[in-house]
Amino acid sequence: MSAKTRVPVWLLATVVCAALPPILGRAGVWGFDQYHALILCFGVTYALAALPLNLLIGYAGQISLGHAAFLGIGAYSSGIIAGRLGLPFTLGLVVAAAVGALAALVIGLPALRLRGLYLALVTLGFGLAMASMVFRLRSVTGGYAGQAVPRPQAGTFVFLRNADLLAVIVVIFGLVWALDRNLLRTKVGRGFLALREDEEVAAAFGVDVPLYKLYAFALYGALSAIAGSVFGHVVGFAQQESFTFDLSLLFVVIVLIGGLRSRPGVATAAFFFGVTPRFFTFLKGWELIIAPAIVMFTLVRHPGGLGQTFGELRGLRTRKVATHEDDDEAETSSASLVLPRPAGEGVERRGTTPLEVRDVTVRFGGLVTVDSASLTVEAGQITGLIGPNGAGKSTLFNAISGFVRPTKGRVLLHGTDVTDAPPHRRAALGIGRTFQNIGLVKDLTVTENLLLAQHRLAGYGPLTALVHLPAVGKGERALRDRADETLHALHFERFATSELRELSHGQQRIVELAAALLTAPGVLLLDEPSAGMSPAAAEALAERLLQVRDELGQTILLIEHHLPLVLATCSTVHVMDAGRMLTSGAPADVTADPSVVAAYLGERVA
Amino acid sequence: MTDVVVAGIAAGAVYGLFALGLVLVYKATKILNFAQAEIGSFATFVAWGLITSWKLPWLVGAAGGVLVAGALGLAFERLVVRPLIDAPRLTLVVATIGMGLLLAGLEFKIWGASPHIMPSPFRGSGLTLGSVTLPPARLLALAITAVAAAASAWFFRRTTFGLAILAAAQDVVGVRLTGIRLRHLSAFTWLSSSVVGAIAGIVIALSLGAFAPTFLNGIMLLGFAAAVLGGMTSLPGALVGGIVVGVTQAVVSHYWISVAGLVETVMFAAIVAVLLFRPRGLMGRTA
Amino acid sequence: MSTTPVLSVAGLTTGFGANQILHGVDLTLVSGRAAVLLGLNGAGKSVTLKTISGLQPAWGGSVHLYDRELTRLEPEDRVRAGLGHVLQAKAVFPELSVAENLRLGGAILRDAKRFNDNLARVHDIYPLLADRAKQLAGSLSGGERAMLSVARALMADPRLLLIDEPSAGLSPKMVEQLGGTLRRVREGGTGLLMVEQNVGFGLELADDVFVLEKGRVVYTDTAARLDTSRVAELLGIGQLLGQSKGSGNAGARRRPARRRGVPVRSAAAAARKART
Repeated sequence: MSAKTRVPVWLLATVVCAALPPILGRAGVWGFDQYHALILCFGVTYALAALPLNLLIGYAGQISLGHAAFLGIGAYSSGIIAGRLGLPFTLGLVVAAAVGALAALVIGLPALRLRGLYLALVTLGFGLAMASMVFRLRSVTGGYAGQAVPRPQAGTFVFLRNADLLAVIVVIFGLVWALDRNLLRTKVGRGFLALREDEEVAAAFGVDVPLYKLYAFALYGALSAIAGSVFGHVVGFAQQESFTFDLSLLFVVIVLIGGLRSRPGVATAAFFFGVTPRFFTFLKGWELIIAPAIVMFTLVRHPGGLGQTFGELRGLRTRKVATHEDDDEAETSSASLVLPRPAGEGVERRGTTPLEVRDVTVRFGGLVTVDSASLTVEAGQITGLIGPNGAGKSTLFNAISGFVRPTKGRVLLHGTDVTDAPPHRRAALGIGRTFQNIGLVKDLTVTENLLLAQHRLAGYGPLTALVHLPAVGKGERALRDRADETLHALHFERFATSELRELSHGQQRIVELAAALLTAPGVLLLDEPSAGMSPAAAEALAERLLQVRDELGQTILLIEHHLPLVLATCSTVHVMDAGRMLTSGAPADVTADPSVVAAYLGERVA
Repeated sequence: MTDVVVAGIAAGAVYGLFALGLVLVYKATKILNFAQAEIGSFATFVAWGLITSWKLPWLVGAAGGVLVAGALGLAFERLVVRPLIDAPRLTLVVATIGMGLLLAGLEFKIWGASPHIMPSPFRGSGLTLGSVTLPPARLLALAITAVAAAASAWFFRRTTFGLAILAAAQDVVGVRLTGIRLRHLSAFTWLSSSVVGAIAGIVIALSLGAFAPTFLNGIMLLGFAAAVLGGMTSLPGALVGGIVVGVTQAVVSHYWISVAGLVETVMFAAIVAVLLFRPRGLMGRTA
Repeated sequence: MSTTPVLSVAGLTTGFGANQILHGVDLTLVSGRAAVLLGLNGAGKSVTLKTISGLQPAWGGSVHLYDRELTRLEPEDRVRAGLGHVLQAKAVFPELSVAENLRLGGAILRDAKRFNDNLARVHDIYPLLADRAKQLAGSLSGGERAMLSVARALMADPRLLLIDEPSAGLSPKMVEQLGGTLRRVREGGTGLLMVEQNVGFGLELADDVFVLEKGRVVYTDTAARLDTSRVAELLGIGQLLGQSKGSGNAGARRRPARRRGVPVRSAAAAARKART
């Protein structure tokens, strides 16, 4: 990849922007003086503070209305460490990050149960409590007087000049930017984005949803606290009044105006908000009216914010790939789903029954959706599950893959009882599945989706992902190779960098199947794979499923309405009706069974 | 103790009124209206201006403030809420934040940052019950809240339009299919929410005596707590929640006055506890 | 009975974003008759109903209620013109009582007398709703909710009633009961257009049958003259009636085309290997 052979842009920019101010400041060029440098300090600090919130909201899909509290935590931490205790400011940053991360868990834990508005209220309350109580405790924070935060010091050199401080801030900003950037290129970033779009899809690919949520909050807390530290150093003291609810709201506005997920957009918007009030003092309060008006106008007319503008300037949106119905047919007949298996998968599974469902009952409120259903899926076979609509087939699937808890009964995967295991755990144990409305992340590109699908095979942990150690690079390369081979097998190379939503439904379905097969699941659950396909495309799909079974020995359980597909592929068929298993057997026998005919077409026809 | 509690109830009545406006908007849009405080504040300033500068009778000035708030609410609904009807909820929330900031900016520009005194229409020092003296402003707050409670009870259950507002929070498509126009419902929601916020703001300004831009921000946060406690979807719950918040605030700040910020922390803990363990609050029907 | 059909749909097209769902749907319905719309998942059945009622904007084509063109109207106006639509999932207002639900159903009626007449009629067809007037709609059983949702739509006295999967999630006994009430609705002169996945129920109730595939009506006839095997075939369940499409040789192992078990190397991977 290019990052290896070229100096990354961010590094170059950081070095230049860090070196420039001290030089300009001393030379007095362009009238660049303490005052201008201070304004720039604010701008960059605001940008630094906005990035973690963008990570939390834009990537991980969570919310924080208590951002100011975390900034305050950072400022006070630095004040205490560097000010009161006289320790180096770098230690102050580290302590701030640690305290921030821990504090973030206070809102991260409720986040496991709450979403949207309710989570927002918790974060709001947290911010309130911090600002009104903790930041006023005389013993901890110096009460109303606040806590002094001295300028950073390196040995005997004190960064008293604003221009010099600016250099330090730029370096910190560059590092955080790089960290953020690294994150997105690893499984952690993809995991966050999947989390945001669809937690079920994320879990099905093996993302430990609760862990990742907590991780997102911890990162957010740590990085926000670091930004708060910097705030403290710039202003010179930490005071309760600086970290109020209004500031929290302002940052939410900034992140949205910057364009969720767009790092450059958010940084620019934040920079603007940090600089303008101090720079345009001649506006005498008009900016308090104009700025919000612009904000509201942007939200209504240009919801993608600056990120959208940047994207448009870079011509990203103009890339449209032709998707016709005929194209569909050509594709679906030439694509191959026989993909290289990752090494070492499946060795320990030989000899066990891939899937056993024993007397599973699922009850929703008063309604019994699945009533004592049992079935067995044999290794290396394709098994079908059919039945009229509302028979409970999808619910049974959800019970098998872990998205629904059975009221009674057991699910055994390769002999292991997984009835109580969460979905991501079952994915790790070897269940793969597709979903009725395409179990992929529509916002990600095709390649990114294929990388996400291999989440549990990444070979490195979430912490090392931050630093992009060689192990991470190696792991990513392996994932990427397999993704490329997949694209090649599907003849989808031209879609590599297209967002998934740009493909037609049929093409998305193919990608979804490939993604599910990539990790060599012990059992693959297919939920109505032929839905929306023409009979010809369904026939091609049948061919491909048989290929996958024969070449790779893949075990498959599929829900289907399209009986020709079932007849062509399945060796055993189970029929469900009104939550119960009606009958099982060879397809030809089952379809001739009068009770089955009655279930579908009513008594009159049978 | 009784006087503390009674004072708390009186204060809580206003929080409840505020929360009523918040719950109305929440039921319709599933968001929190962060502009509620500032709309109330703006209305208070307008009322003040009409009473002091234009020398209008107090009631007329107050009514003028309320009318302006209503107009603002309608304008916001038409220009911002309706175009964003399908947008992500966060976008709409930020739009209300923006609206609040805009109104605050206007207040600073037009009337300045220093406090203003709200002239009182009352004579006398209020009502004394035993050891408790309730100033007239508090009495007014209680009276208005009682009237609001009765009016909303009648309106939402007895009129078809009121029922439609409730129904829209449960199944908006279903309401459209009864032939009732969605935009009427939406406009009414924001209009009434603004009106309620305006009334609350004027009453609070009377109680406090003096007010300045963004003076209702703190109340808004208490209003959020009240709404959550009552169950975000319950209108009567908002009023009850307000009383609970008011009493809690009075008791905590009376007995633990030395601990700064204890009230807010208690509120935070209460909000978290309610949301985690009983999301439907005291009176909501579904989570 | 007038000869103008109560519902005329011609060339209806619509979709979401770049995705076209309906590719020109034509159907007509005469008042007092019931029609059922069948088709596979994704064929566009529910979308058709939503486009007729206006919840889904049409891209092209037209919808007429008798002589009145509805195509450009908002759903609220179509309801006022005499159209009713009962959505999926037994749509009631769960936190309101049965009586309040019915009251909203008749919201557009100006006349108290008309309201009371309609209420009486609804209570006649669904007596249990009169008994449960004060009960919260959300606490009713599935079948009772289905009845309430139809009753609510009937309060406005529609000329045409669209119903989306009335039998969904109901026990067979409830389905039968519901069917009986729908017959009475039809006898009252209201035209009925249903979408159904329960083919048996649909065929029993309907006078006319339309089969939708990929956004077009591909087969239509009266229920009496219906070619059942053709319909089963279109619904992908032709096998159930003895159609043999493809061999009964299901799942037999086929001769592998390539070596078994060895991963297939792509050209890219081979090239990469050559380079190292």
